[in-house]
Formats: sequence, structure tokens, C-alpha cells
Amino acid sequence: MNILTCEGVSKVYGSGNNQVTALAGIDLKIERGEFVAITGASGSGKSTLLHILGSVDKPTGGRVIVEGTDLSELNQTQAAIFRRRKVGLVYQFYNLIPTLTVRKNILMPLTLDKKKPDEAYFEEVVKTLGLSERLEALPNQLSGGQQQRAAIARSLIYRPALLLADEPTGNLDQKNTREIMDMLKLSNRNMKQTILLITHDEKAALEADRIITIEDGRMVGDERRR
Amino acid sequence: MWREYSSGYLKNNRAAAVSVMTAAFISSLLLSLLSSLFYNMWKYEVERLRAEGDQYALMAMYLVRDANDEAPRLVFPFFLLVMALASFSLILIIHNAFAVTMQARVHQFGILSSIGATPKQIRTCLLQEAAVLCAAPVLIGTLLGIAGSRGLLALAERLVREVEGRRAIAFGYHPLIFLFTLTATAITMYISAWLPARKLSVMTPLEAIRNNRERQPKRMGHSFLLSLFFGMEGELAGNALKVQRRALRTASVSLLFSMTAFTLMQCFFTLSEISTRETYFEKYQDAWDIMVTVKDTGIGSFGKTDELRRIPGVENVVVYQKAETKLCVTKEELSEELQANGGFSHDSGKYVRQEGERFWVSAPIIIMDDAAFLEYCGQIGVSKRTDGAVIRNLIRDVTNPDFRHPEYMPYINDCRTTVLLAQTGSAAMEMPDSDRTAGVERQAPDVGTDVKMQLSDGAETIEIPVLACTETVPVLREEYATDDKYELVHFMPASLWKEIEGKAGGAEKDTCVRILCREGVGLEELEMIQGEIEKSLAGAYTIESENRIREYETNDRKMQGMMLVFGSFCVLLALIGVGNVFSNTFGFVRQRRREFARYLSVGMTPGELRRMFCIEAFVLVCRPMLWAAAVAVFSVGAMLKASYMEPAEFLMEAPFGSIAAFVLAVGGAVALAYYLSWRRMRGINLAEVLRDDTMM
Repeated sequence: MNILTCEGVSKVYGSGNNQVTALAGIDLKIERGEFVAITGASGSGKSTLLHILGSVDKPTGGRVIVEGTDLSELNQTQAAIFRRRKVGLVYQFYNLIPTLTVRKNILMPLTLDKKKPDEAYFEEVVKTLGLSERLEALPNQLSGGQQQRAAIARSLIYRPALLLADEPTGNLDQKNTREIMDMLKLSNRNMKQTILLITHDEKAALEADRIITIEDGRMVGDERRR
Repeated sequence: MWREYSSGYLKNNRAAAVSVMTAAFISSLLLSLLSSLFYNMWKYEVERLRAEGDQYALMAMYLVRDANDEAPRLVFPFFLLVMALASFSLILIIHNAFAVTMQARVHQFGILSSIGATPKQIRTCLLQEAAVLCAAPVLIGTLLGIAGSRGLLALAERLVREVEGRRAIAFGYHPLIFLFTLTATAITMYISAWLPARKLSVMTPLEAIRNNRERQPKRMGHSFLLSLFFGMEGELAGNALKVQRRALRTASVSLLFSMTAFTLMQCFFTLSEISTRETYFEKYQDAWDIMVTVKDTGIGSFGKTDELRRIPGVENVVVYQKAETKLCVTKEELSEELQANGGFSHDSGKYVRQEGERFWVSAPIIIMDDAAFLEYCGQIGVSKRTDGAVIRNLIRDVTNPDFRHPEYMPYINDCRTTVLLAQTGSAAMEMPDSDRTAGVERQAPDVGTDVKMQLSDGAETIEIPVLACTETVPVLREEYATDDKYELVHFMPASLWKEIEGKAGGAEKDTCVRILCREGVGLEELEMIQGEIEKSLAGAYTIESENRIREYETNDRKMQGMMLVFGSFCVLLALIGVGNVFSNTFGFVRQRRREFARYLSVGMTPGELRRMFCIEAFVLVCRPMLWAAAVAVFSVGAMLKASYMEPAEFLMEAPFGSIAAFVLAVGGAVALAYYLSWRRMRGINLAEVLRDDTMM
């Protein structure tokens, strides 16, 4: 069953002579529970695709459907609520809110919805990600690896349809990179979390079930490994 | 190359340029206005003191004090301090506007530094940029500030032009003030441009490119109340305000000072108005319509009393002169009530001088023209005679400090028989001792018998009959026993005074004329009668005259003038605060876009972000408002207690309206600043921010 469908998604910046095509007719289907890596050279359009899938940007052509919702039809508020409930975004530089404790950062998508957390699930997530002891710390009191784990915890707390990770290990050393990849795999296996990982690190991409390669805004490879 | 870089940056970052230009304009306008007003205030005071020949006060203006002068003169140093603080705050606004733009450009400077630009080159580039951006706004702001101060002074002059005995306010300006404003602004700009260059010199180019030195909170308290009332948006707003604490310090302090000062000023003036009305205007409303002071003329030499009585519209005239004497009373002569109340034991020796069994107290004499005195005798029901005095037999209960609701008791008992008066300033009064007062003659007649008045060194005594001891005083615009609660006031006809004048002495130089007109007389009619009186006395005497309604209006205008001056000061402080809020919020888009992107990326809606903005603005206004309210409640409470006024009486006239209007105006300005910033922030392209490599 497809959780994500892209139909002819394109994105063009500028106009006339300054026109730059970031994505040119991407067709993509992702099934629930898949762990997909999107690779490509710098400027190939992989981050643009991730932003469109995460509803932080809109395509100039085509449609993106996530769990039956057409993202191109969402207004700003609907898009924000969609991000809150359906998508977990993990960035290279964590994007934790520096003024909130780790606990509040993790719970923020639920708090914004005025929902109480499922304590058992919260415990499971923080325990799995090794954050149980650091919940009352501020982000700047954590190491890079811990901050990224907190960002992953935040992206998982709403049990989103999609976890979109943009170079999540790009700012980490080898040990932390290994840890983060293990966490992502663990959430994919144990929680059946659908993950889209954007990376230009081949080793990281090899951890995924499926590797999609993008070049100049086009899909040039789609390799299923499992 | 640098010129191209700067012009390119300014073209593509109009918002940042506008923010710096606005800050430079507002700051130089206010700085110039303030300097010019301060200069004019100083000039006015110096000219006034020079004209009055008050060298000590003039020296004090320059903070030079006579070692023996212990009088507190705090006004000028206070204004100096205010001036310094306000200038510093305005300078901070310019600096803050620069700092916000510079912070956003560290990344670019990092790139420039990585390709070999030295801090000096960057600093020069920034200075040139600052000069280009600020030259016109600073010049226009400074000139408008001068024009504004001229306008304000003209307004103040118009408000108080009818106040008598004051110097006219003439606008003046000195080139040094212009130089000061420009220098202060230029130095600020230099420092503001120098700081980022210095910051760069301690960073590696890579650090600068990544610009990852975002201010991180070391610890963050929980915004409990804001979370409780406004949920997550409240907590985020509270935290954002904490992180911006330094940037918003000028705004917070200025808003706090302005709201507190305005609230206190309003409350103080209301209290003062109620107090003056009750203790003066209402008390003396029916006691006079026109008062004339005839200069250097004794009551015996004033010969126009009958002429004044014949002026159409004049209903009652009392001509009187005041004299100061002393008298001696014994403990037995005091009323039983006064004795029970401790007699003179509450006086520290300042007003009552004890000499064995006797006490020397002040005995002011009101010498009235005979006709008025006889009318007064009729009023209090004693035989109309001009050969004796009437004593005001009242003393305030000094143990009750409530001057608003004083309690009185008889001063002397009915059977007291002797009053001894001695000339003020006699040796005996200055330093009484038993030898020098040995000549005081004491008799024991009843009321109606002679009172002996004598110089206490025994040289002479003066005997005058006492016609009555009464609690009723003649209708005059006089207050009795205000400072010296122990004085025993005497009313005496002019013909009697004529007989004893040579011996008693102590009379004031001027004579007063109290005139009453018909009830309900208007200002126009009153001024007409006043004109007639002045015409009648002109040539023969040097006079000063005033009328009740005009004095009331003049008092109102004085109050308005003072409120204008203090109000302008409060508005200025509020403008500094609001200016700082504007300069800070205008930098939002650049400074806080990372923060907003974080919120949006985790699913915060634009509506929730707007709510967070509203909460920030609300807190920024409410916090100083609550502090101001607390200070006002405390201070007004203390003032009410000190002035013995009922809280309900104050609350009936409390200036809630004007305070609310001021707070709303400040709140509106802060809300506008946040609204404009929100409009600019709304256009933020989330994908663009997230695409930025430096997004951390």
C-alpha cells in the first residue's frame, strides 16, 4: 500500500533566462514501512524534493499525495498542521528549539495540537534513543549526536506517516553517524516507520531497503535492495 | 570593489537599510530635541538667576556648592542624569539597529575574510556604509528635533504667558548642541561598525561563514504564568523575550520609566489639585474676590478706604495690616482642654519659650480699618468699640497631625485676665531670662479690662482692653497658626493701633485690601471692578492686585504647564522605548528567521506564530504597566497617608482615563511595531531558510 505518491513533480525557480529547473517530472511511489534513501550529487534536487514532500515548499507542477492528502491543495495553516501530524523532519543541523528542554522539544508537535503524550510511547522513544537521562537539559548542553537523537525523537513522537531525514549524519563523527543510522533502522524495523533519507554518503544509503538516485532534477535510478 | 559590495548589499537588503536609517532618524531626532530642550532649560534658569542675582543658586547650577549650604538642590543634577540616561538609551537604539544587521552579515564577512579581507578593510567598508545610510536621516532628524523643541517651548510659553512675575521663555540654540548631537551619533555609528569587525578578528573565517555563534541560553526558567494562560505559544514568547532581554533592555527600561513617571505624575497632580482646591480655593472661595497689596504703606497712611467702598460692584472692603508681637501666658491661663492635652509640652522650644512659670508665644495682630472692625464686633455679638482687641481663642490639637481634618480647642480659659505683649525682636524675646523680664507687669482684669503690652526688658508696657475671646474670625484671606500652632491671634482696630504703634512696632510694611463683590460675580465683571480699583489707587500708591477667578485660572495654567513639561518627558521616554521596540522588531526577519523556521518546520501554524507575536507585544507592554501600577499604588498610598486624604476621595477623581490613554498609546505603538514585523515575517520562505546551509 502506497503511503506516498509523486506524479510528475517539478520545481522551477526564477523565470526567463534565469530559470533553473530543480526537479523535472519526478514520479515516485513509496510503500508504508519502507526505508528509502535518496542520493545524488550536490544540487541534484534531492533537498528540494524532500522539502516538497515535507510540505515546506510547493511544486510548480505535478502532485504529491501523502496518505490520500494532496499537498498542493493545502494552504499555509493546513500545511503546518500536516507537517505537525504526518511528517517528521530531521535536518543536518538538528533544528531543536534552543530555549526549550529536550523533553519539551520532543513533545512540541503534540503540545501544538494540545494533545497529551502517550507516556508509554514517549518512554519507549526516549529510551530507544538513549535520551532518558537528558530530558531536562537544553539542546546546547547536548553533544551533536544527542541533539540529532532528540530531533529524531521529536519527529517520531506523533507517529508520522513519513520521516524525512535530510543529511541527518552530515554534521556528525563516525561513531555518532553509526548510532543515528542504527536508530533510524530500529525505528523502521520496530515501529514500522516509513523513512526517506536524503544523503550523499554511500555507506549510509546502503543501510536503506531502496536507493533512489537523482541527477539534475530527474530520477535516474531506483534500486530495491531487499 | 567595496563600494560595489556595499551598494549590492543595500539594494538587496532594503529592509535592513531602512531599519538602520529609521533608527538613526528617530534617535537623532529625539537626541536633538532633548539636547535643545535641556539647553533652553539651562539657559532660562541661568538668565533668571542672574537677573535675581542669586549667585549661590547659579553656582549650584554648575554643581558648585557653598560648603555651608546644606539645602538640597537636586533638580539640576537630576536633569543632568536624565539627559545622560536618555542620550545613552538613544545611542543604544542606533547601536542595536546596527548590531542586528551586522549579526546577519557575519556570514558574508566570513566569506570576505576567507578570501583575504582584513578586519580593517571590513571596518572601513562598514563605516562608509553607515555614513551613507545615516547622513541624511541624522541631519534631518537633528533639524526636526530643533524645530520640535522650538515648537514645544512656544507651546509652553502660550500656556503660561499670563502667569505674573515670570520671565518670558525665549528659544535659543547653540552650535555646540548641534555638534554634540552629531558627534554622539557619529561615535555610536563608529563603535557599531567597529564591533562586528572586532568580532571577526577573533573568529576563524570558517566560524564566521557558518556563523554558528548564535546566542544560546545557558539556562532557561519556565515561563509559568505565560504557559498557564497561553499554552505553548506563551512559553515560547516568554523564552523569546528572555533571549532578547539584552536587545530589549532599553525598551523595557524606557517603557517602565515612562509608565511609572506618567502614572505618578498624574496621581501627584490630581492629589495636589484636590488638596489645593480643598485647602485653598474652596476654603477661601467666599473670603475674597479682589486682593490689593498696597506697597510700603501703613494702614494709618492709607486714605482711600471710603473711595473703594463707593466703587460700583464693591460690596465689602476690609483694609488691614499685619504686625508681629509676642506675649506671655502662664500655665493657669491656658484652657483646661489645652492643659489636659499637654499644654506646650509638645513644642520643642521652636515656637514657645519657657521662662520659669511663664511661656512666651507669638501674638500676630491683624489691624483692621475701624469700620470693618466694628462690623466684625457686630458679627461676633460684642459691643462695637474701637478701644480694644479681640482674641482668636483657638488652638489646634497638635497631637493630631491630620491637617485636613484638624481639631480645635480653646487656647485660654474664660477667666484669664492678663495678656502681655512685647515687641518682636526685643532682647527679652530673643533670649529671655528672669532679669530681663523682671519689668513685665501683670494684672488680672476680666475680659473687657485692660491688656498690658510692654517691652519685656521692662522699658515700657502697652495696655489695651480685650473686647472678646472668640472662635469666629473676620472674613479675610488669611490663614492663622499654620506653621506656629501656638500663636495667639489678635484683631485690633486701626485707631487703637495708631495709639500704640510707636511702642509696639513689629508691623509689616504693606497694607492689604480685601474686597468682596456680589455673589456669583463673573471674571469679566471682576476684572472691570479690579480695573476701577487700580485706577482709583494709581498715582497715590504702588499696588499689586489679583482676583480670585483669575488666580484660579492661573493656577490651572501653571498646573497644565508643569504637566506639559513632565508629560513631555514621559512621552520622550516612551518614544525611546517604542523606538527601541521598532528597531528591534524591524530586525526580526533577519535575526529571528531561523527561530521562526524551526517553529514552522515542526508544524506551528502561521496563526500560532502570530499569537506568539501578540503575546510578546502584550508582555512587553504589560510588564512595565504592572510595575508602574504597583509603584503607583504604593506611592499614592503613602501620599494619601501623608496628606490625610480619604482614598475614596482620590479614587473619585483618580486619573484613570489619562493613564489608560497613555498606556494604550504605548501599547498601540508596540503592537504596531510587532504587526509590521509580522507582516514582513509572514513573507518568509520556509524552504529558502531550510535550504540555507547555515541553518542550524
